[in-house]
Amino acid sequence: MNIFISGGCKNGKSYHAQELARDMSREKSLPLYYLATMIPADDEDRARIKRHLSERDGWGFETIEQGRNICYALDGTTSSGEKVSAQGVFLLDSVTALLSNEMFLPDGTVDETAGERLAAELSAFASRTGNTVFVSDYIYSDARVFDAYTENYRKSLALIDRTLAAVCDQVIEVAYGFKYLYK
Amino acid sequence: MILIFGGAYQGKLEYALEKFSLSEKDVYSCEERSCLDLSFKVINNLENFVMACVKEGLEAKELLDEYGDALEDKIIIVTDISQGIVPMDQNERWWREMTGRTMLYLSRRADRVIRVFCGLGQEIKSQGEY
Repeated sequence: MNIFISGGCKNGKSYHAQELARDMSREKSLPLYYLATMIPADDEDRARIKRHLSERDGWGFETIEQGRNICYALDGTTSSGEKVSAQGVFLLDSVTALLSNEMFLPDGTVDETAGERLAAELSAFASRTGNTVFVSDYIYSDARVFDAYTENYRKSLALIDRTLAAVCDQVIEVAYGFKYLYK
Repeated sequence: MILIFGGAYQGKLEYALEKFSLSEKDVYSCEERSCLDLSFKVINNLENFVMACVKEGLEAKELLDEYGDALEDKIIIVTDISQGIVPMDQNERWWREMTGRTMLYLSRRADRVIRVFCGLGQEIKSQGEY
């Protein structure tokens, strides 16, 4: 089952997503993968990754590092060198980080079409795996008009969110422990 | 009256048109003007009307109240701008607050209130519920 989860920040989305992915892999006896989307830029990022790793410790996740071209993960290997099975259960946390990596490139350029491309890639990822939990961030209720780059990022993430909400079997909003099932 | 709200880019208008079998020609999209064109079934982007009210020192819900029963058969769509950072700009701060007050006023009057999240609707008030 593909699941899409979104909501405000620090609401417990990631924890809930981890539980859903773990339960799915146990029920179906499938390998459990965590798609690490952050590409570390400095020591702060490296410390955050270390914290995330320790938070997942003992959950049974195999980590796959894939900050761009997400579908390549299905033909690659895990951090421990195992071949990835597309039949496994995947936790993708987060769509937001993935879009940043695809849109704001290391050479300083901005790919304004990243949203459309990523929406298509993630749809393909969902249909190839059939068992992915996608985590995104609800960043659409600010009372201001941002600069063009930020506005394009918000619009692109919203396109991806709507696309995933349409193709996933379940759509959940998490708000401070409250979970609303849209479908 | 039906009130539909949700964050930016959530597909609110597309949702309304599909749900109520309407088309673009039924839609009045508010510009930054403190009056509405009530010859359309759908009033979209009401937050722009609210911003005009802020700039002109008017209270949006009072203006809407003056329209009275003329709003009864309308579908009103508002972008929820209540959950972000408090803006530095005073007009934007007042806009945020007045939009909230306007939504409270409309949700009391509305027969149905629907929140749109990532293109999917959640009916949070149905006919007959108060």
